[in-house]
Amino acid sequence: MAPLSRRHMLTILGASVAAPAIVRAQDTGPIKIGGMLPLSGPASIEGHQIILGLQFAVEEANARGGVFGRKIELVMEDDESNSTKGVTAVRKLIEREKVPFIIGTYATAVASAGAKVAREYKVPMLSGGSTGAVATDENPPGDPWFFRSWPDSNGQGEGTAQDIIRVLKKTKIAIIHDNTNYGVTLAEQVTKVAGAEGGTIVSKESYNAGEQDFSSMLTKLRTLRPEAVYIGGWAGDGANIVRQAAEVGLRTQFIGSGSMLSDDFIRLAGPASEGFAVATLYESTTPNEVGRAFGDRFRAKHKAEANTFNSLGFDSTSIAIEAMRRVGKADGAEIQKMLKSGMKDFAIAQGPAGTTAAFNAKGSVDFRCFLAIVRNGRRSLSPTG
Amino acid sequence: MFDIDLFLQYLANGVVIGSTYVLVAVGLTLIFGILGVVNFAHGEFYMLGAYAGITAVTLFGVPIWLALGFVLVFSAALGFGAEAILHKPMKNRDATSSIISSFGLAVALQNAALLTLGPQPQLLRTNLSNVPVEIGPVFLPLQRLLIPISMVVLITALYLVLRYTWTGRSLRAMSQHATVARLCGVRVERVAVVTFMVGAALAGVAGLLMSSVFLVHPLVGNMIALKAFTVVILGGMGNVAGAAAAGLLLGVAESFTSAYIANSMRDIIGFVLVIAVLLFRPQGLFGKAVERS
Repeated sequence: MAPLSRRHMLTILGASVAAPAIVRAQDTGPIKIGGMLPLSGPASIEGHQIILGLQFAVEEANARGGVFGRKIELVMEDDESNSTKGVTAVRKLIEREKVPFIIGTYATAVASAGAKVAREYKVPMLSGGSTGAVATDENPPGDPWFFRSWPDSNGQGEGTAQDIIRVLKKTKIAIIHDNTNYGVTLAEQVTKVAGAEGGTIVSKESYNAGEQDFSSMLTKLRTLRPEAVYIGGWAGDGANIVRQAAEVGLRTQFIGSGSMLSDDFIRLAGPASEGFAVATLYESTTPNEVGRAFGDRFRAKHKAEANTFNSLGFDSTSIAIEAMRRVGKADGAEIQKMLKSGMKDFAIAQGPAGTTAAFNAKGSVDFRCFLAIVRNGRRSLSPTG
Repeated sequence: MFDIDLFLQYLANGVVIGSTYVLVAVGLTLIFGILGVVNFAHGEFYMLGAYAGITAVTLFGVPIWLALGFVLVFSAALGFGAEAILHKPMKNRDATSSIISSFGLAVALQNAALLTLGPQPQLLRTNLSNVPVEIGPVFLPLQRLLIPISMVVLITALYLVLRYTWTGRSLRAMSQHATVARLCGVRVERVAVVTFMVGAALAGVAGLLMSSVFLVHPLVGNMIALKAFTVVILGGMGNVAGAAAAGLLLGVAESFTSAYIANSMRDIIGFVLVIAVLLFRPQGLFGKAVERS
């Protein structure tokens, strides 16, 4: 008796879930735009910061009356930093939600897998934080469908490596990186540039994203006495490494990749984060006026300082919305044309003063990153070398 | 030049991480040895134990000892529920059913944790990390030292229970021969529940101990479950002492790999060990060869 009634219950439940959704006519309701980020899984710290930027840009656009008289609605998908889930999410956003563009995602491998699909559908994608060069290098030259309004990780790695030697004055460098595309690319770049700048790389170790115990690796590193240790990887792992380094008595200058900018990093690493240096595209104290104005508005709403992640999401989303407004209709192919050449006058929050959405042939915007150093649990900008 | 002090430090690091493997693997091997259930949700007992501890300490501000008790009770209740799902309805089917259903339970628990607790990694803040302990050349923060100490206490307690109590006796009888045990008056259903509760409680405590040293997030059980399975296979299926020895062995092997070979090889070494052991001793390092009738 019991199995039958249970099955009966399940049938009823299933039926209620599968009730047909009401399909709304597209031209009177809000315009849907797509967002895809890792809201769970290893990169979720970053994902939850970036999404605030997306939402902020959409809210601001709606407060100004939306685009061509219609409100904008952000449809979010979680890719869990997993390429398969990312591709599924892109298809769903395009086929079911009919979005004209997608903001996403954070993990480069997922972004480039998703961008291939989006390109087939003639829907442009704007990076949701990914910095790996692969995603833009895969664009057909001169006809990018994946846009990133900040430098790729080669540019970031280059800037950071120069900063380690020129600003922090450290030449004996150890590198720790994770095995993701992001970590490996950065480690290679830092190795190359630091060598050229006159530094020596004393060791290079890799770990799997999400690994927990670094004590032996760091104990070994301590014996090499590096002046600086560069970490290329995600924020949670970086915080774990910095904290465990303090436990094993490794005292050195740590420099992290751009993902380690979040306040969560400082919260998790605790006192061990003091003196930690990190490459940054944006801080609320930036010399860039557009960025500072964004920071002020963000602070007024969220009662917190805007960080790089918020600005990544904000820039990508506001560029795309502005391009759509200039085109005058929610059409992916038209928006891509506009992004390619028509946005050179649109000032953005990230980068030095005067940075605009001037995408190059690869779909990237190049500028020099800042270096921020954690002092008393807060990041402050340093002059770059 | 070989540095003996460093060697001892690596050994200590390995024992610390190995102790968490032991706590997770012993429960896993009990559940397998006594009930024949291959529990893929065991890593989630560890993850939820960690969250229970963090909740107790941060929300209710209880001291760590009370939190330990809370985690024990919470995890045992979890084990009670898991038994009702993974074992009771499928007792008379083959082990594949338990694999599939426990895998489903693992996914369900992970996503429940994601939805309710959020994906951001958490950390249990204690003041113990600021207390350094030096034993000769070896240096460990107190919270890391607590892990092997608690492991030894818990595994000793488990051993005594298995050795000297009627409950323990019936558990051992079940693992030797379920049918004969039943004929001799062992209450099989009760044994099943107790086994699950003990296994889950051990994994939950491991999670709590870990939560102040490493980060806790909803997917943290995945890797530890894999490692625990490695340990169970190394130690011989259903062999508690074997699991304890193999857990420490794996932890130390990982630590040495990361120190003397390369950190990137660390997660691979366990599987290399398993393959090597299975080639030469298919029953595991400490397992007994059984005749299949």
